[in-house]
Amino acid sequence: MLKTDLIHKSPVSKTIGIENVKDGRFGAVLSRAGVGKTSFLVQIALTQLLSDEKILHISLDDSIEKINLRYSDGYTNLVDSIGYVDPQKAVRLWEDINLNKVGISYTEATFDTEKIKDYLKSFKKANLALPSLMIIDGLNFDNNLSTVLDELEQLNQEFSIFTWFSMRSHREEDLCEDGFPIQLETYKDRFEKAVFLQPVEDKIEAVILKDSNRTHQRNRLDPATMTIVK
Amino acid sequence: MIRDLEKVRNIGISAHIDSGKTTLTERILFYTDRIHKINEVRGKDGVGAIMDSMELERERGITIASAATYCEWDKHNINIIDTPGHVDFTVEVERSLRVLDGVVLVLCSVSGVQSQSITVDQQMKRYKVPCIAFVNKCDRSGANPVKVSSQLKDKLGHNSVMLQLPIGLEDNHEGIIDLVTMKANYFEGEHGERMVIKDIPEQMMADAQTAREEMIDAVSLFSEDLTDAILEEKEITEELIMTAVRTGTITRQMTPVFLGSAYKNKAVQPLLNAVINYLPSPLDIENEALDMDNNEESVILESRFDKPTVALAFKLEDGQYGQLTYIRVYQGCINKGDTLINSRDGKKFKAGRLIRMHSSQMEEVEAIPAGHIGAMFGIDCASGDTFVSPTINYTLIAMHIMEPVISLSIVPKDNKAQINMSKALNRFTKEDPTFKTYVDHETGDTIIQGMGELHLEVYVERMKREYDAEVSTGQPRVAYRETITRKGLFNYIHKKQTGGSGQYGRVAGFLEPCEEEFEFVNKVTGGRIPTQYISACEQGFKACMDKGPKLEFPVTGIKVTLEDGAYHAVDSSDMAFKSAARGGFLEAYAKAKPVIKEPIMKVVIETPNEFQGSCMGLINQRRGIIQGSQEEGVMSVVESQVPLSDMFGFSTVLRSATQGKAQFTMEFSTYKQVPQSVAEEIARKKQEEKAK
Repeated sequence: MLKTDLIHKSPVSKTIGIENVKDGRFGAVLSRAGVGKTSFLVQIALTQLLSDEKILHISLDDSIEKINLRYSDGYTNLVDSIGYVDPQKAVRLWEDINLNKVGISYTEATFDTEKIKDYLKSFKKANLALPSLMIIDGLNFDNNLSTVLDELEQLNQEFSIFTWFSMRSHREEDLCEDGFPIQLETYKDRFEKAVFLQPVEDKIEAVILKDSNRTHQRNRLDPATMTIVK
Repeated sequence: MIRDLEKVRNIGISAHIDSGKTTLTERILFYTDRIHKINEVRGKDGVGAIMDSMELERERGITIASAATYCEWDKHNINIIDTPGHVDFTVEVERSLRVLDGVVLVLCSVSGVQSQSITVDQQMKRYKVPCIAFVNKCDRSGANPVKVSSQLKDKLGHNSVMLQLPIGLEDNHEGIIDLVTMKANYFEGEHGERMVIKDIPEQMMADAQTAREEMIDAVSLFSEDLTDAILEEKEITEELIMTAVRTGTITRQMTPVFLGSAYKNKAVQPLLNAVINYLPSPLDIENEALDMDNNEESVILESRFDKPTVALAFKLEDGQYGQLTYIRVYQGCINKGDTLINSRDGKKFKAGRLIRMHSSQMEEVEAIPAGHIGAMFGIDCASGDTFVSPTINYTLIAMHIMEPVISLSIVPKDNKAQINMSKALNRFTKEDPTFKTYVDHETGDTIIQGMGELHLEVYVERMKREYDAEVSTGQPRVAYRETITRKGLFNYIHKKQTGGSGQYGRVAGFLEPCEEEFEFVNKVTGGRIPTQYISACEQGFKACMDKGPKLEFPVTGIKVTLEDGAYHAVDSSDMAFKSAARGGFLEAYAKAKPVIKEPIMKVVIETPNEFQGSCMGLINQRRGIIQGSQEEGVMSVVESQVPLSDMFGFSTVLRSATQGKAQFTMEFSTYKQVPQSVAEEIARKKQEEKAK
């Protein structure tokens, strides 16, 4: 019951749509630095954890402690957003779903899709359920990432794993003709979904840049908690 | 022994396995003239380091028991405890920390803060032990002391402040720059025994000045005089800085960081100066005891020699001259021939031979005054006992001891081995509270219990070597537990009439899960069970906890609420109510959805990056849950939670999967319910065993 309530309250259900999170190959959350890409990605991952799916969170910026902290904060914010919840129930649920999350911290130099592949293979070997969603946070899309994205597409096919990326845009750069930041424009054919986060007044606006019929939808989020503001 | 306690330091050297702490201790003893020849830990000379006195330690290149030793430096008396680095022996580390006033935390300049350093750090926090850090192995390829210092901040939350800069790193490591004196220190002579002080090399001057400014800025928080001197732009003397660092360190608000290479004989002497200058003397530390005659009121002990004696036995060793008991005296003074009382059992004894240890060599002394560490011969006691003067009845606060999680059956090869084995077990259980032993009445086997596979392996090996007790071992067994998951009601009448006086007792109430091991609540009103039988009921329920009805594992986490009952004026007895309680327990237990719980271990693997994927795979194959993985330079750290039952033989598997390049540590984390399929497997095995 609590699971369903939390999924329903998630900012992801209003913006992307829960059923839509793993539809396709790649998704991206874009914004300039410090707006809340990682927090939003964590909310996406939480919806899967709450649906009893496994997730893999790879970060090129955060240490493992930081990743864990982001998830527990994200969960707490989500719980707080539905008003009163039996704290013991909430803690028990967190202890359950947290086991399905694996965080891996790389640096730009040590990030290697082969390592991810090795890891995913080990699930098959041990006959375990594979993670259904992978978050890759901190890849620099100002660089040429064609090869990496090719390799990740192969992983997507081999292991049926959908990947969400964070994509950092820059304040000084103009948007392209179709309204995409340049980082997305370069790889737009590979991404089925893209959410752009931008500060508007004292809130954050989540604009769907790419997602068939949801495109151009806008929702306002609380910058502190990433929850939907009415 | 020095009686001016300002000039006494009781320190430990703690670190992750293979960080070089035994090598460092060896160098300290060399420079302080306690030994005349340096032996390497796994030296080609086949001698092994002095501190690793057990044969087994020398062979494996690890330190198992903490050997105590002392040395003198700059007219100060330093007592050193060399603590083991492997997590299976943590009780040794804990006992050492209890009696120490300060610690040198040794970190590897390549690997940085590793899992064991985190465990040791938690223990230091528990016992509030101040520390200084020594970043060792600066001569190694990939050395980066600045990174290690920042890891101390990020991973352990220390306010680390570097008081030195390296002059060259890796192959070019020549010495250090002391940021307090602003001088360069070099180490000359065959074993670096001559410390040569020179001016800072010109090309490093700018860096040194910046680092000094940063250091003074950080340190000024702990001294108003220093802050004033900075604000008023007065001269900042060495003394001002040193006083501030000392205050910050003793209050555990900062951790000064030193560096060098013990193996290459670089910068050990400045570290010794730091021990004197920055770590606390016994006078700086407040120690508490509990007054047993005064409702266990906490009493502050004073390091004065004229007060009644209070001392703690923190380690036992059985040597060729009988049992050697290591003690730390907190108050008063133990003189040869003094009468003391062991506050645990109230037994009186006379202090016989008193000695001061230098690893396994000993030196006889007349007295061990407050603030010092020494040893006594011929005392029959257990580790953790408190010795006091007959005028007082204090006990030092009990140490945090963990319950064993693994057991192994051992069978002596012959009669001689049987006798020697019991001698060995008797000694080991006294020495190490996490090592336990009992005889399984059903199989007649002797069972040993401990904190991990290696822990038990070492004791089996020691039995062979030190006691000539050849034993064969069975399969290691996991300490499973049973518990209930919901409320279960009972209403049981125990009635027997077999001639003579009968037995009658009725108990009613419920069992429910709880956090405590066992809880008993009496809610019987109106004398339906007379008060004199209530404790028999409690005993009856408690007796059921030893062997669970489901699979005969010990039961934990049960709250019994007794609400109602009945008795018979003639036929009721303690025995009848005990039996009624047992019947009630069995009745409710079956309804309360019992489950099996297993110990889950926190497993941390450190592996070269290229094997990260395979290591994570190994965990996956063992019902493990990976909590995360982090890459640090060329190494990756994989943290996970794995059931202990799936960890047997893991070291061999890990070695073969990583070409022997990865290592792992394992420690108990929690008990968790086993999945249904595993529970069935356990039940099947148990059945098979019974059938045998």
